[in-house]
Amino acid sequence: MSYILKPGQQVRTETSGMTCEVSKFLGGGGQGEVYAAVVGGKAVALKWYYPASATAEQRAALEILAAMSAPSPKFLWPSELASAPGVGDYGYIMPLREARYRSIVDMMKRRIEPSFRALATAGLELAHSFLQLHARGLCYRDISFGNAFFDPHTGEVLICDNDNVTVDTRAQGAVYGTPRFMAPEIVRGDAVPSAQTDLFSLSVLLFYMFMMHHPLEGKREAAIRCLDLPAMRKLYGTEPLFIFDPADDANAPDATHQKNATIFWSIYPRFLRELFTKAFTEGLSDPQHGRVRESNWRGVMVRLRDSIIYCGHCKAENFYDADTLAATVSSGRGQNAGACWSCKRPLSLPPRIRIARSEVMLNHDAHLFPHHVDDERRYDFGQPLAEVTRHPTELNVWGLKNLSRQTWSATTARGELKDVAPGRSVTLARGTRINFGRAEGEITF
Amino acid sequence: MNMRPGGELATRPLHFIWMADCSGSMAVDGKIQSLNTAIKEAIPNMQTVADENPNAQVLVRAIKFSSGAQWHVSQPTEVADFKWDDLTAEGVTDMGRALSLVAEQLAIPPMTERALPPVLVLISDGQPTDDYASGLKAVMEQPWGRKAVRIAIAIGEDADTEVLQRFIGNPELKPLQANNPESLVKYIKWVSTAVLKSASSPASQTLDSATPGANVPIPVLPESASSSAADDVW
Repeated sequence: MSYILKPGQQVRTETSGMTCEVSKFLGGGGQGEVYAAVVGGKAVALKWYYPASATAEQRAALEILAAMSAPSPKFLWPSELASAPGVGDYGYIMPLREARYRSIVDMMKRRIEPSFRALATAGLELAHSFLQLHARGLCYRDISFGNAFFDPHTGEVLICDNDNVTVDTRAQGAVYGTPRFMAPEIVRGDAVPSAQTDLFSLSVLLFYMFMMHHPLEGKREAAIRCLDLPAMRKLYGTEPLFIFDPADDANAPDATHQKNATIFWSIYPRFLRELFTKAFTEGLSDPQHGRVRESNWRGVMVRLRDSIIYCGHCKAENFYDADTLAATVSSGRGQNAGACWSCKRPLSLPPRIRIARSEVMLNHDAHLFPHHVDDERRYDFGQPLAEVTRHPTELNVWGLKNLSRQTWSATTARGELKDVAPGRSVTLARGTRINFGRAEGEITF
Repeated sequence: MNMRPGGELATRPLHFIWMADCSGSMAVDGKIQSLNTAIKEAIPNMQTVADENPNAQVLVRAIKFSSGAQWHVSQPTEVADFKWDDLTAEGVTDMGRALSLVAEQLAIPPMTERALPPVLVLISDGQPTDDYASGLKAVMEQPWGRKAVRIAIAIGEDADTEVLQRFIGNPELKPLQANNPESLVKYIKWVSTAVLKSASSPASQTLDSATPGANVPIPVLPESASSSAADDVW
C-alpha cells in the first residue's frame, strides 16, 4: 500500500517547532490520512492532507482552530499544524482516540450493543458538546456517522474530524455535509452549512442512534428502485416527509424494508417521540425557528435516562411513560405500565421520586445526581448524591442512601420528621418527602 | 439476550463489476501482472470502505474478455470474502461479448428491483475486435445499465479511448489513462474506494466534487496522475 507518510518519517510541528515522528497509518478519508505519531514522547494523532485538499483556505481555517482551545475535552481538536521540508502539503496534530470509543457505524451494523442507558448518555453528551461548539459561534458542518464515536459501555462521546469547523455563517468552508444528514435547504442548494443546519444533522444522527433508521426513509424510499443522487435529492431535499408525521402518513415506514423504525418507535416514551416529531415536521418546514435545539435534546436525554425501568421477568430495559400511564389511570384501567418489548410479559413499576419537574425511577441500581436536586448544576454523572440500597437485614426494605455531604430531612407519610445524615439511608415508602436542601422530592409507587 | 430490539440498519445491495481485458497485448510489458497486482492491492481498501459503510451491501464480480468473454468471478460475492485469482493474457479483445454478459446480469431478475447504483469498471489496453456497440447497447437497454456508474481505465497509449468514452457515456468524465503500473494501482484503488463510497453513501460533499450530468457524484482523484508519454514504461 502507498500512504502519504511512512512509519519513522519525521515532520515538524509549526508552533512549538517539535519533531513529530510517524508511528503507523490509522485510516484514510476523503481529505487525507490519519496516523499515530509521537511528539515529545507523547502519543498523538497526525492528520495529513492529500495535495488536492491541502489548500490555503484549509490552512487558514486550521490556524484559527488551533489558536482556540477545544470547546470541551470531548473534541479531538487540532492543537497545531505540522509540515515537512520539501513537502508542499501539511497536516495537524490532535489527541488520539482511545480504542474503547467505537463508531456509530459499528452500532448500525450491530457490532456493538449499547444499553438504552448508554445510548441516552451518548445522546446527552452529543447534544451538550454541540451546544458548547455552537455557543462559541462555530459551526461543525458535517455531523454524520463518521465523525462521532462513543463508548458503548458508558455512553461517553468523542467528536472527531474537527478540521471542517468554521465560524458560523462564514461560507468559504469547503464541506457541505454528508448526504442523508444534510439539512434539506442545503440539499436543495438554498443554504450553506450553519449552526441551524447542524441542528438538523444532529437530529438525524440521534434518530439513527435511537431508531436504527433514517427519519425520512419511509414508503417513498421503499418505492425507489435506484437510490442515486436525483432520488436522494427528492427524499432528503425537495420532498422530505417524516415517516411518523402525525398529519400525513404518505411516507409511513414500509413493513418489509423498514422494520426497525416501527419496532423502536413504540418502545420510547411519548416525550421522546414528540421531540423527534417536532424535529422532522417543524424542523423541516421552518429551518430558522422550528429546529430542536441542543438544550431540548439534552433535557429529553436526561429524562429518558431517568425513565428506564427493568423488566421483572427478563431484566430488559424498558421505559416508564408518565403520559401513557396517566391515560390508562384516567380511563379507569388502573396503573398499566404496558408490556416488556423483549419477553412481552407485563411490566411493573419500581418506586419513583418526583423532584420538581423530574421523575426518577428508583431501580435497584438508581442514583441521583446534582442536577436532580439543583437546577443550576450541570449534568455530571461522576458524583452521585444518592443511591438506592437494600436494608442490611430486612431484605424486602429498600432505601435511598445519602451520598452527599449534607444532611437531608425526610418527612414520612405520617408526618414524622427524620434527619438523614451522610451515609445513612431513608426507607422508600409511599408519600415520604425528602428535603435535599435546594429541592424536595416525594416518593411515589 | 439482546440489549435492544430490531436488526441492523437496512441496506441496499451495491453491485460492483470488474471487466478486465485479457487480450494477448496485455501480456506485453507485464501489463496483466500489473493489473492483477493492482486489484489484489485494492481489495483490502475495498473491504475497509465496505466495512465502514452502513447503507450498502457491497457485492463484487468480475468478467474477463479476450477471444470471447467469461465470468472470472460469477457469483455476487461479499467483499469480505472476495478473492482474486490471477488473470492471464491471450487472444483478441471481445469487449462486446463482455458487455453482453454484464447486460444479462443487469436485467431484473437476476438484479433486484431495489438497489444502489451498480459500479461497472471497464479496463482495456486495445481496440475491440468484436461488435462492442451491440454489447454496449444491450447494457444501456437495461435500467440498471443506464443507472450504473461506468468508469473506464485505459492501459497504455493503444487503448481505444473513444470506445471507453462511449461506455462512460458522460462527456464530463474521461477514461483514466494509466501509463505505468503506479498510476494503474492508483486508479484501481480510487475506483474501489472513492467511487464505491460515492455510489452508496457519498462522502462529505465539497464544492468541487460534483460531476455534471452524473447520477452519482464522482469524487475527484486524490491527485491528477501524470499521463504524459514521458512516464510511459509499458
